[in-house]
Amino acid sequence: MYPHRTLGANLMAEFLLEAKNVSVTFGSGSTKVEAVKNCSLTLRSGEPIGIVGESGSGKSTLARVLAGLQAPTEGEIFFNGEPVYKGSKSYTGEARRQVQMVFQDPYGSLNPQLTGLNAVAEAVRIHDKTNKDESENRALELLRRMGIAELDAIKKPRQLSGGQRQRVSVARALSANPTVLLADEPTSAIDQSAQAQLLNLFRGLLDDGLSIVLVSHDLGVIRYLTQRVYVMKDGVFVESGITEEIFNDPLEDYTKLLLASIPGDLGVAARRKLNKN
Amino acid sequence: MSTPNKPLIQIKDVVIGIPHKRRPTLIIVDKANFDINYGEMVGIVGESGSGKTMICRTMIGTLERRGGKILSGEVIFEGQNLATASDATWKNLRGKSIGYVPQSALAGPNPVLTIEAQLTEALRNTGDTKNIKARSKELLDLVKIRRVDTVMKQYPYQLSGGMRQRVMIACALATSPKLLIADEPTTGLDVTVQSQIMDLLKEIRSTMGTAIVLISHDLALIDEVCDRVVVMHAGATVEVGSVKELEKPRHPYTIALNSSRIDIAKPGSELVTIKGNAPSVGEWNLGCRFAERCSIVQSDCKVGVHPELIGASGTHQSACIHTELLERI
Repeated sequence: MYPHRTLGANLMAEFLLEAKNVSVTFGSGSTKVEAVKNCSLTLRSGEPIGIVGESGSGKSTLARVLAGLQAPTEGEIFFNGEPVYKGSKSYTGEARRQVQMVFQDPYGSLNPQLTGLNAVAEAVRIHDKTNKDESENRALELLRRMGIAELDAIKKPRQLSGGQRQRVSVARALSANPTVLLADEPTSAIDQSAQAQLLNLFRGLLDDGLSIVLVSHDLGVIRYLTQRVYVMKDGVFVESGITEEIFNDPLEDYTKLLLASIPGDLGVAARRKLNKN
Repeated sequence: MSTPNKPLIQIKDVVIGIPHKRRPTLIIVDKANFDINYGEMVGIVGESGSGKTMICRTMIGTLERRGGKILSGEVIFEGQNLATASDATWKNLRGKSIGYVPQSALAGPNPVLTIEAQLTEALRNTGDTKNIKARSKELLDLVKIRRVDTVMKQYPYQLSGGMRQRVMIACALATSPKLLIADEPTTGLDVTVQSQIMDLLKEIRSTMGTAIVLISHDLALIDEVCDRVVVMHAGATVEVGSVKELEKPRHPYTIALNSSRIDIAKPGSELVTIKGNAPSVGEWNLGCRFAERCSIVQSDCKVGVHPELIGASGTHQSACIHTELLERI
């Protein structure tokens, strides 16, 4: 992987990515839905943070706002101190490549006609403006790093397992050489051993200095990977803080309920606490 | 619970294949062996493609319409061999003695029928057509749906994922089945909803004495709600035992699965992954199908056929022929 590009004039910005009082509203009148309400979030360079909540809580919408795919109705997003949404555009210039997203369903987000190698090479060509051979070499290198051998790289998505597909999407996101990776439920469509592989990869990326925003409803994954977490309910952040502290001593009833619902040992302690009250 | 420790359904040496016009039959399950007792909750775990869903389909008799075929072996349900059962026999069993909750709660219910219509259909199946409306409401009460009168008139799209799964469970329970098969019933649902659905299944088991098969790849979940666990790898049962017994697994695959669990891993520590991918259907090697991925593999693991489960049925069984080496892992 390339060394990370220098961030230019705004190297001193305190936060790499920052959301200030963001609200997103869909529809109007009686069908108006406030998906995200007045949410503020910060991400420092090299930091893994999590956004956790049930389906419909607005976490995917917020992730799309952070990725530059959905303009907020109110509030602003700053990347490196610069506003992300300028007029009808988002992430202009050099900033565009630095924030990349991995989607929930790898089968839906990969082109079924393209092999893993072609999909990643295409992204490399777009970002690096290189020729075919060079882009394929770099794509192969990225895929190898994600644990996809050359033999599997020339397979189409339908010939790959769920975990492999997800790793191809991560390789494609990394082809832009980003500083921030937004991952929207990356592990929910794959089984346990594939999940462990993907999480190991994410941990390696963190060691290389990448910042990760992990959106998930799986508290086990959040606990394992993130340092700070935002708990979201009905479009609002109900609690945020250091992941370990929130897991050991949740303040909000909703967080307690979420923790108590985890199957296995993790949930047992939380359940005991919940029953005591 | 009625007559525990007596098998309700026995899967004996089942081999499932997909016949093809030109190519040879593709074997997808070979050497599946386990029992499910009356009133027992059994979990089936394994990676995607290990044959969990195929076993499920043999137990509800929908294998053939999906192109599969039982090539040999027996599926004994209350003394009756279902592997060779006729359509007429299945008609009396499926949805009556054996209930099914499908994987996808969102796609499960018929989108163009109201909840009342779906329950009516399920209840008519019992042969008793009296008081259907009252009985529908009872069923919805049983699965803890509030505002029963409103929900009866609603369509599936108006309900949340958890509610839809509850309706599917209600439909499956309409005939008070002896065996309920739940194929990944909470995949795609939130943890809070998942824990509610699991509580519901546990309650159904204890009040109605229904034996429940829970298919999942979430080991933590199975540990918590099931009595016994069946571990499958590449179309074969590799380990069977109670949840307690499986705390000390006797098959390297189970050990590997256990160590890849994130719920017990220390945050930020390296997760143990299982080497390679599960062998694809049709590409099984000789001998033990886990041999290529196993850390204690010996030369005699890669010869002959896949090993049989060792140990008597009902006890802790494992298909590993080198259990003496497990300490090395």
